[in-house]
Amino acid sequence: MSESLAIQMLSIQKIYPDGTVALKGVNFDLRRGEIHGLLGENGAGKSTLTKILSGLLRPTEGKIFIRGKLKNFRNPSDALRSGIGMVHQHFALVPTFSALENILLGQEGSSNLSRLQMSKARARVEEMMRAGGFSVPLDARTESLAVGVQQRVEIIKMLYRSVDVLILDEPTAVLTPVEVHDFFKTLRTLRDAGKSIILITHKLKEILDVTDRVTVLRQGQNAGQIATPEATPEILARMMIGHDVLPSIEKKPTQIGSAIMQVSHLRVKDNLGLHSIEDLSFAVHAGEILGIAGVEGNGQTELVEAITGLRPVEHGEISINEKNIAGQNPRQLYQQGLAHVPEDRRRLGMILEFSLSENSILGVHREKRFHGWLGKILWGKVGSHTWDLIKKFSIVASDVKAPAKSLSGGNQQKLVCAREFDKQPSLVVAAQPTRGLDISATQYIRDQLVHLRDEGKAVLLVSADLEEIFQLSDRIAVMYEGKFMGVAKPEELDRERIGLMMGGVSALAAPVGEAAR
Amino acid sequence: MRTKLWGWFKPLVEGLFAALLGFGIGAVLMLLWKYDPVKAYLALFQGAFGDFGSIGKALSCLLSQGIDACKETGVIYGLYELTNTLTNATPLILTGLTFAIGIRAGLFNIGAEGQVYIGAMAAVAASLFSLPPGLHVLVSILFALIAGALWSLPVALLKATRGVHEVISTIMLNWVGRYLAYYLIATALVDPNRAEKSISIAQSARLLPILPGMDLTASLLVSVLFAGIIYWILWQTALGYEIRAVGLNPDASRYGGIRPTRTMIASFVLGGLAAGLAGATQILGRPPTYALYEDLSNVMNLGFDGIAVALIGRNHPLGAIVAAIFMGGLSAGSNQMQIAAQVPLEMVRVVQGAIILTLAIPELLSIFKIFRRKRG
Repeated sequence: MSESLAIQMLSIQKIYPDGTVALKGVNFDLRRGEIHGLLGENGAGKSTLTKILSGLLRPTEGKIFIRGKLKNFRNPSDALRSGIGMVHQHFALVPTFSALENILLGQEGSSNLSRLQMSKARARVEEMMRAGGFSVPLDARTESLAVGVQQRVEIIKMLYRSVDVLILDEPTAVLTPVEVHDFFKTLRTLRDAGKSIILITHKLKEILDVTDRVTVLRQGQNAGQIATPEATPEILARMMIGHDVLPSIEKKPTQIGSAIMQVSHLRVKDNLGLHSIEDLSFAVHAGEILGIAGVEGNGQTELVEAITGLRPVEHGEISINEKNIAGQNPRQLYQQGLAHVPEDRRRLGMILEFSLSENSILGVHREKRFHGWLGKILWGKVGSHTWDLIKKFSIVASDVKAPAKSLSGGNQQKLVCAREFDKQPSLVVAAQPTRGLDISATQYIRDQLVHLRDEGKAVLLVSADLEEIFQLSDRIAVMYEGKFMGVAKPEELDRERIGLMMGGVSALAAPVGEAAR
Repeated sequence: MRTKLWGWFKPLVEGLFAALLGFGIGAVLMLLWKYDPVKAYLALFQGAFGDFGSIGKALSCLLSQGIDACKETGVIYGLYELTNTLTNATPLILTGLTFAIGIRAGLFNIGAEGQVYIGAMAAVAASLFSLPPGLHVLVSILFALIAGALWSLPVALLKATRGVHEVISTIMLNWVGRYLAYYLIATALVDPNRAEKSISIAQSARLLPILPGMDLTASLLVSVLFAGIIYWILWQTALGYEIRAVGLNPDASRYGGIRPTRTMIASFVLGGLAAGLAGATQILGRPPTYALYEDLSNVMNLGFDGIAVALIGRNHPLGAIVAAIFMGGLSAGSNQMQIAAQVPLEMVRVVQGAIILTLAIPELLSIFKIFRRKRG
């Protein structure tokens, strides 16, 4: 094995205990002193691969060589000892500790350092920061630091542990553009000092800006490796998305009606208080499915939550049937014709400990038809309502009193869909409606969405699954960093173009004409 | 159907196992200090329930000959221990409900203690008026219910508006309630002839013993009825549906159009009603006192014992009844343990503690599981 390689991973295979095949024999190599981009869609295997490399997961098969030596990591400390450290999207910092304390935390003997040792450690950290050309206020409480600075603390923490290989998982997701600029400067300095860096991202621009080489993964396999100077956005997009033949779309043409939902100049903050949606405007019409494609984390979740009353609207208007609904709570929205299939059915869509009956009225449990004297819920009536849903959606369930967690994932999602579609909505918002489902459940739910559209409902579909987007949508919008990179009819788009837009390249997203109403 | 049956059966099996374990630990402890566990537990049981022969005789006598005849022969006293246990259980059912309703809504409401004091005081205060019998009882109970609910409101509002954690605010209000009670018993409500207690409850407001010579009053029925109402609210109404939903999954509840703040306030108020009522039963329906002692000794710790009752009863209203009787029996039997088996009080407490702890563990585990999932 070549000594010049910092890392070589050979035919890495990973099968999760539940049978999911995440990696199907992936090869990866990292040179000393390079920034290596790892590019791919959601579920392509980027995270799994780096988790294996950092000792968090063990591969089912395959070999890992570190500087030519075969290694077998059992845990992250093993990897750290071999000089491999990973900075996760969610930082592992103690909020009430100072930056310095966080950097030293977990080092041998760090719990009772003498004053002399402490000042030595501080000197070392300061020296490292000078060499790296970046600094953090070492005595500030970590929670008072900006997210970008906290990230630097994480990186210094790794460097302090003499890491040679730094793995960064979507590091720019939490940064502002200015911070990204500084961050890239830091990365270049580290590289020039001989460190190797793996940068996980889905943003084509970042790959082109800062990396030396790129490895692209697709569906758990190598989709290509290329030196960055030879790469263009088109080449990368094609590698990332592939050329799968699309399943034919069986959809009757429908008459697209008036706008059911109109969003104008919407601004929404994410959980960190950053604006994840800035000045977004669009409409969904009766009898159409508007598909929103994009890599997750580009504001789709926040958009859906804002529309469905789960997240405050900072600015702008959302109207359903020409009534402004921004700021209303979910129950008020349901009364005005909203149905919402949330992206996380286990956290949002249902209460797992509740029975099927109880879940079948979540959101409509205050409706008169289920109530009797003194506000008593008529469980008999609810039960037969549940049976109706079970039959109509061919849900596999034997007892409406069984807890929802006893259903399979597909049947859970069918129950959520059944409940929501049964509301006689005028607007259906479906977020990742078929994620993690088997083929038959997927097909069933997609058919139902098309059926709703044929009935003249407006459907907003948010999905990270391009196949689903192409199969269902009458118009496709691609979301990137809280904006639409373009809106087009599916026949006007090909996968390469979508891939580019998903990676944040808008110049080629030409057809914005008719479809973008 | 199988799942449903198991749903009822599983807590019983777990409870039985935990009880055996607890009694086992208690036995080992007693052996270590050279006390006879068999004798001790027999005495405990005797003290808690009496013996079945006498209970049977008393019951059959009551049914065939009526109260007076049985009193004459003394057969009726076969029920003495059992009624003692039930009397002990009466307020514990209610304070257990307070904690249970809190947990069902995802709240750690330990404010029953203070609400009991306030409810008891309100029940005493109602005796400042004179009203016809019957009505006076109802008014006194109403006073206590309202007072308990009012004492829970600051907790709910602080949490809703300022995000103050209920553990902090309930503990603080428990103390405020305590000193307020000390003050009022010594001033506005003081018995002019006996400074160590409040004025006595008016005859017209008392719940009288069901059986002569024994403490058990209709307050047990009030308590059980209230548990039934809470059960009905939790499982048969939209409000209860929302309380349980918020407790299990606040995110899905919000998605389901439930307003968590309102639900939370409702849960605190229901809990306050229960605790206030517990204070009332202890004052209006516990012979021979019918007053509140200046040191609060006849209502002290009922709220905290309610936490154990709720945990043993799996935070279920019907479970709380069973658990309260169990706890009532433990305390009724502890005297016999000391007298008949010569186990000193300290050891009795240790054994009781071991039993209560092991019984509470299954529910504690499931609460932790839900709390942890919600964080993470």
